[in-house]
Amino acid sequence: MGNGMRNLFKKYVVAGAMLAASIGTAGAQDKVSVAAISGYFAQGFGVSIVNGLNRAKDEFGIDLKLVDTGNRALDYEEQFANLAKDGQYDLIFVMGWELVDALQKASEAYPNQRFVFIDGVLDSDKIVYANFAEEQGSFVAGALAGLIENQGSSFDKISDGKAIGFVGGRDIPVIRNFLGGYEQGAKYAAPEVKVNSVFAGTFDDPAKGSELALALYGQGTDIVYNVAGPTGEGVMQASAAADKYSIGVDVDMCGSAPGNVLASMLKRGDIAVYTLIKDEVEGRKVTPGTRTFDLASGGVEVKVCDDIAANIPSEITAKLDEIKKEIVDGKIEITKAK
Amino acid sequence: MSDRLRAFYGQVVAVAVALAIGAIIILMVDESPAKVFVTLVRGAFGDQAKIAGTLLQTTPILICGVAACVGLRGGMFNVGIEGQLFLGGFAAALVGFALPLPSGLHMIVALVVAVLAGAAWVSIPAYFRTRYNTNEVVSTILSNYVAVLLTSYFTIFLFKRPGGWSETPPILPSAYLPEIFSFSRLNWGLVVGLVLAVAVAWLFRHTARGYSASMVGSAPKFAEYGGIDVKRQGFIVLLASGAIGGLAGGVETLGVHHRFMEGFAPGFGFDGLIAALLANGSPIGTIFTALFFGALRSGSLLLEVDTNASREIITVIQALIILSVSAQVLMKRRGDSTAGERRWKF
Repeated sequence: MGNGMRNLFKKYVVAGAMLAASIGTAGAQDKVSVAAISGYFAQGFGVSIVNGLNRAKDEFGIDLKLVDTGNRALDYEEQFANLAKDGQYDLIFVMGWELVDALQKASEAYPNQRFVFIDGVLDSDKIVYANFAEEQGSFVAGALAGLIENQGSSFDKISDGKAIGFVGGRDIPVIRNFLGGYEQGAKYAAPEVKVNSVFAGTFDDPAKGSELALALYGQGTDIVYNVAGPTGEGVMQASAAADKYSIGVDVDMCGSAPGNVLASMLKRGDIAVYTLIKDEVEGRKVTPGTRTFDLASGGVEVKVCDDIAANIPSEITAKLDEIKKEIVDGKIEITKAK
Repeated sequence: MSDRLRAFYGQVVAVAVALAIGAIIILMVDESPAKVFVTLVRGAFGDQAKIAGTLLQTTPILICGVAACVGLRGGMFNVGIEGQLFLGGFAAALVGFALPLPSGLHMIVALVVAVLAGAAWVSIPAYFRTRYNTNEVVSTILSNYVAVLLTSYFTIFLFKRPGGWSETPPILPSAYLPEIFSFSRLNWGLVVGLVLAVAVAWLFRHTARGYSASMVGSAPKFAEYGGIDVKRQGFIVLLASGAIGGLAGGVETLGVHHRFMEGFAPGFGFDGLIAALLANGSPIGTIFTALFFGALRSGSLLLEVDTNASREIITVIQALIILSVSAQVLMKRRGDSTAGERRWKF
């Protein structure tokens, strides 16, 4: 066989193989495959993400793989590599800051794999970021707290102190963004109400959260918004002890202190993952960059607790709906702090 | 049948029983045991990166296992290796980022400090054991919790990297334990572990100090009668065991993570203890049992992705192995009239 023949032969074989490969991938592309990796699928925000994934699975019949990272940092890189190695998954959702290192390495090693990092934005431009407009949700929470505080002693458990409060975890930009939205919302809806804010310096100390919240309640503050992770759980407990009000964050916290939790500012992880998968299934390919889930898309919302909702005067509810609409329409502009 | 052969045979049966029960559990979650075991093997030894991954998982188990062997052979049950590992890991990170030194020397100093930190941490329970005859099992277990929380405190409040997850700043590259291959994080820590295992085995078999330590372990009354200061010997054994535990932490920090994170390597101390028990306290045997557990761990990471079985099936199998090994020890004791005189039979 001459050289020319051999090359010709090679060409046919290669073309045939490529054809076979393209048929193969076309078949596989029919169904969207999604994986999610995190150590928090059993807790608050993680549960919401699992709900969104399962909803997408039920509605679109996608393939879904959940991987629990456990808590050994040694394992993370191999877990990412095992998921990404075959290119089997169209999207891999990642949640948890401790996974950032492994995520960045995996996105370098598997440049064609699309990773979605939930609830945060990193430096790399190869990753999809599902971000939440916390300042919008916090604005509504601030407006709600301000309007209720403005009712004074005519409202159950409210004094005439005209002050609402905020307990943050650590003093970092993302928490400042919550505080900024909350202050602007309160100022917009009830200019005469003052906002007292404190930072616990830690996300892991419920006792500290409780202590700070009790101090705020002692100074005549009637409603305290907690953005402090587990530290915030202490804030919720303190609202029951002082028989005042608290506002929860991220997930529905109405059950933490029934009767004393006014509302929760929800980050809807389920809506974020569901929306991204829906886009992918319907042919709008998810590409690297930041996707922000806001009031308009339902990615953040303020849920008033059922046991409180009945006591809230209809004009406050109407005013809140108006504020939400104005934020969605862009009539209210909220300054971001990050 | 010689004693050693019988012991080996017993451990193999223990593992086989555990795997069989594991297979039944896998059937209960509607997955095929054959597929699970094949995936486990593929995940552990499927290609060169997987083999390196297995050895990477083996390293901390091996070093912690050798630490446990030293204790077991010397009659001291050091259950605090986990805590010594955390302290050693943190101390190595501290030297790694805060004390610039020439390349190579930096790494050695950091490892030495890790060793000292592990020894210092175990010296508290060891002191109480020697001075007041406190049960070292209880005090070393308790010291684990303190160590984990203490290092968390240091990490979060004193040495946190600004604006990040709860971790220290990265160590300087001059303190890195070099990687062996370009395609894996596997590093020279594995060699450290292997050399250590052989050295400890040699020490126990060929030196007077090693002999007196193992005499104290297997027959304390006899050792005392023979003129050995049993209390002092016990103190030294615990200290040595803790020092090796600290080294395990140093190797993880300098070889793999290059920083200390809150809760950075949970469970390796206990895995090492199990590996040592399964090897009957033999450091050479621990090389193989650590490899076995490392392969299980590494295989389980693929298992979780490629099958419907949970990675935790491995934890179940490990627990079953412990149960069948301890059942075996109990059965052996029943036939041994002198067993009541001894604390641990190795």
